[in-house]
Amino acid sequence: MEIEVYQIIFIFIFAFLASNDALITGILNQQVITGAIIGFIMGDVTVGLTIGATMQLMRLGVAAFGGATIPDYFTGTVLGTVFAITTGQGAEYGIGLGVPVALLMIQLDILGRFCNVFILHRIDWAIEKMKLGYISPLVLSGSLIWGLTRAMPIVLMLLVGDSIITTINEAIPVFIMDGLKTAGRVLPVVGIAVLLRYMPTKTYFPYLLIGFFFTAFLKVPIIGIALLGLIVAIFIYRRGVEQHTHQGVDASPTLTTYEGGLNEDEL
Amino acid sequence: MKMSYKLTKADLRKVSYRAVLGSQLNWNYERMMSSGYLFAILPALKKIYHSEPEQLQDMLRTQNQFFNTHGFFMPLILGLDLAIEEADGHKAKDTVIALKTALMGTLAGVGDSIFHVIWGTIFGSIAATFALQGSLIGCIIFAVANLLLVFFGQVPLIFLGYKQGTSLVTTVKDKFNYVTEAATVLGMIVVGALIPTIVKVQIPFIYQNGEVKLEIQTVLDSIMPALLPILLVGFAYWLLGRKRMNSTRVILFMLVFSILFSALGLLA
Repeated sequence: MEIEVYQIIFIFIFAFLASNDALITGILNQQVITGAIIGFIMGDVTVGLTIGATMQLMRLGVAAFGGATIPDYFTGTVLGTVFAITTGQGAEYGIGLGVPVALLMIQLDILGRFCNVFILHRIDWAIEKMKLGYISPLVLSGSLIWGLTRAMPIVLMLLVGDSIITTINEAIPVFIMDGLKTAGRVLPVVGIAVLLRYMPTKTYFPYLLIGFFFTAFLKVPIIGIALLGLIVAIFIYRRGVEQHTHQGVDASPTLTTYEGGLNEDEL
Repeated sequence: MKMSYKLTKADLRKVSYRAVLGSQLNWNYERMMSSGYLFAILPALKKIYHSEPEQLQDMLRTQNQFFNTHGFFMPLILGLDLAIEEADGHKAKDTVIALKTALMGTLAGVGDSIFHVIWGTIFGSIAATFALQGSLIGCIIFAVANLLLVFFGQVPLIFLGYKQGTSLVTTVKDKFNYVTEAATVLGMIVVGALIPTIVKVQIPFIYQNGEVKLEIQTVLDSIMPALLPILLVGFAYWLLGRKRMNSTRVILFMLVFSILFSALGLLA
């Protein structure tokens, strides 16, 4: 299937909006939602959902803490979904393609964060000249940088990619293609492991096993698990607050203590 | 000193919405969210210092200095900041700087663990699980949850910060520890459930010796369902703890590992 011009335009607009929404409500850039929307534009929501879901699981815990740059799973999902549908190779192929794309496109994020320094200096200039009307448009113009650093490369890849992808496809041996499909099933493991590395897993390991056993043996669906977890969390919170109020009577924290406390946390 | 503009609810709400919209649009390596903070607070500062252009300019410079926190908590800090500046004006400059610096780190830590990690994990897993069954419901739940969080969580935080002033910092910080702990427990349980739901790896290898035919996967399943997925997670967890390893390298390693083992017929 050839990609149509209107589809490229829709994908451009969506990529522009979604890469900005990542910094506002964080909805459109969630891989599973991205996959669904791109799938809809391309005419196969199911493939989009599958690729998006897998990419979403891969990036669990891989969050951009304090502005760290992470693999661009968003761009990976967009291109993976488009090419899975245009080549007719299905979702697993799209995942295998999306992952290397996500790794390659890391540079885009770095580029965007650098370009924004230029705008920042224009804002300094506006303050010095007291041209206050310039400040807000300058800050908002950062959205052009975020939007274009994602949308432009995606469209470029869509325009040149199809034929190149097909050529590469034919050149790749079957065992690699099968391997990529297996990789699509294995890779969420990395997302989960990164997440566990970030969380205090050593202390809270038993809770992980509760979730695991309830699903592995009893086949409780994920919403059921989330509700179960919520109940346990409420108990934990209550216990914590109760303990705190008991201690609070003796310790009687004063208003002046907070500054010291915060400074410790800063370290 | 006759600087007595009283901020209205509408003023504060406007600042909060501007924080939601613009806090990170100009994120950059030099000062990170500085200009986002400036963008949010700008209309309020114009009103507070309306008759003192030089003080306004100095505060604008001050507010465009290095700042980085979790976007969710920016309205809280803005509320505290505005309560102080409204009362003390330009004299409060050093207090404002100290307060922003003290709070941004703490709140970034809380925000990252609760919203990036736990929130993303819970709703991401629900959405992904439904999506793998071909259903959009999970995506809708995720989107609605995020919108509720922004409009009923993030935006009103500015009123909390503004009303409670600095006394808030103590109470909130203590409570946050328990909220974080509870959220962590919830997150752990969901992640545990995620492993057998999501990782659908199998060993297709069949051992055959004359009459004896042994399907390895059936044997594994009878020991414990989802044994292979949890072992793989443990393996990746261990790999990540090795020196010179990071998530990108582990992903590349797993790519090669999967291709190799699937070619040998040991993994599918």
